[in-house]
Amino acid sequence: MIPKTPRGFRDVLPTEAAWRRSTSDAVCRQFELWGYEPIETPAVELAAVLDEARSLDNTAAQFTTSAEAPFRFFDSDSNLVVLRPDVTIPVARLTATRLADRPGPFRFYYREPVFTERASTYGQERQFTQLGIEFIGRGGYIADAEVLCVCMEALSAAGVRDYTVAIGTVGVLNALVGAACDDAAWRDRVLRAFHKSDMVAVDALSREDGVKPAYGDAIARLARLRGGAEAFEACRALCEPLGCVDGLDDLERTYELVIANTDAGKLIVDFSIVSSFDYYTGLVFKAYAPQVPASLVSGGRYDTTLAAFGRNEPAAGFAIGLERVLAAIEAQGATPPESGAQETLCGDDPYELFARAAELRAQGVRVELGGE
Amino acid sequence: MEQRPLRIAVSKGSLFGDAVELLTEAGLDTTGLADPGRRLIISNPGVEFIIVRPTDAPVFVTYGGADCGICGKDTLVEAGLSVMELVDLKFGYCRFIVAEPEDARGVAEENYERLGVLRIATKYPNITRSFFEEKGVQVDVIKMHGNIELAPLVGMADRIVDITATGTTLRENKLRVVDEVLASTARFIANSASVRTDARVRELAARLEELTRDRDVTLS
Repeated sequence: MIPKTPRGFRDVLPTEAAWRRSTSDAVCRQFELWGYEPIETPAVELAAVLDEARSLDNTAAQFTTSAEAPFRFFDSDSNLVVLRPDVTIPVARLTATRLADRPGPFRFYYREPVFTERASTYGQERQFTQLGIEFIGRGGYIADAEVLCVCMEALSAAGVRDYTVAIGTVGVLNALVGAACDDAAWRDRVLRAFHKSDMVAVDALSREDGVKPAYGDAIARLARLRGGAEAFEACRALCEPLGCVDGLDDLERTYELVIANTDAGKLIVDFSIVSSFDYYTGLVFKAYAPQVPASLVSGGRYDTTLAAFGRNEPAAGFAIGLERVLAAIEAQGATPPESGAQETLCGDDPYELFARAAELRAQGVRVELGGE
Repeated sequence: MEQRPLRIAVSKGSLFGDAVELLTEAGLDTTGLADPGRRLIISNPGVEFIIVRPTDAPVFVTYGGADCGICGKDTLVEAGLSVMELVDLKFGYCRFIVAEPEDARGVAEENYERLGVLRIATKYPNITRSFFEEKGVQVDVIKMHGNIELAPLVGMADRIVDITATGTTLRENKLRVVDEVLASTARFIANSASVRTDARVRELAARLEELTRDRDVTLS
């Protein structure tokens, strides 16, 4: 047989490995500058733990469940375990258990491989690396703005020059959908259509019999509402008469605080953003680079997730996809860092060679020992 | 950074003529697109059209080979990829149906009662599986690439899931429709990153929406 890696996994050679390392170092340094501390969780989780987070009353629960994780197996204790498909749920579990007696807020960051099945053009369809933060114990627009600012500074630190962060809130949509129709199945279909970005289905559903026309119309328009600060006025004009502006004021305050502190041209408001991870309860956002066909970052506020593990506290965070960030910076003209030795020392006397190399290393020079 | 041309995937086949017409109406420079000969890429100032097999349009858009494109809802459902589905273009109407031989009334039910499973021949295994799954019916899907109508006629399958626009082929092969799966029309689709980073995609979607809003659904 020809020895190879399993489908969706690959080896990374030194030039790329060095690039991955330097890029993720730059991102993590930015996390640390905001006071975030590193945290590690195990590569495997009990399937029951992941499913516990899902047991909450989510109308269209779609975030990765143990059943959707590509690697599930029984360990030698006969527990059903999964290779972690994301890090947010494990961090929520850990905060609610090991840190149960400690008051928040907590600012955690991680850099971990995660395992999910997804379409990828970057050779890592089953294992990819997430760099992310979880800000636990604070709600409100100031915390939301912090999370967004960390995200944008981290992307810049990684070397992504050209990117757009699109922000929205699930509050407005949930309020409209809740008020538009009593039929739970219909609500579920609308949310699913939003999740799938199927705006044609949203339109059709919004006009179905039994849906209050004003609300249906607002839902269809909301799917197309995006822009700068003016999008808030448009959304308010649309949803305020219907009493469905949940989360809108907070989102606008978040937006203003973020543009005052970052490159305003990189932030847009987009009410069609509802992440496919439906544990989000307020702010949702995604970051895109024009050269990469999928989001670089996905994040938002998930105020009910910790409650699933018995700690009722708000939280927000995001995960950056390292492979996609590297694709973006490469497409935008960045080149990998020098990774090999800067000098090669040769000579007949190994004692002298080792001594000279030690001197160079002390000066920070990468040095390799040459032939005898 | 200089902006590269907007790249649009256009499905060849039955949707092609209407798609070209609509893109022209929307104000795009479609010179040479209507009659591309053997060329696969038509480059005009500011815009590039790539001519693709209908089933490949969602693939090009998902993986960033094209910013946006036009293809049937049927191929979108079957592909199951993540694209944004922005506008119902109202042409290219067809429907997915379940059909069986006219003279085999009751045979499929009988087989199902005996075996607990229906044999379905189709070009669209994903749509077929999810349709019957929702109904709670076990099916053996037999994947075919053409002339699906043959399968039940030669006893290889109980029923077929296929596309029909007018029903002519079904009638000619003495098949009758027993169930509706879904109706399909052409859609304007786009990559989510393109929608959020490229105003040209959003403007094109808005123009297409405006052009087609009051149209009636048509066959292609």
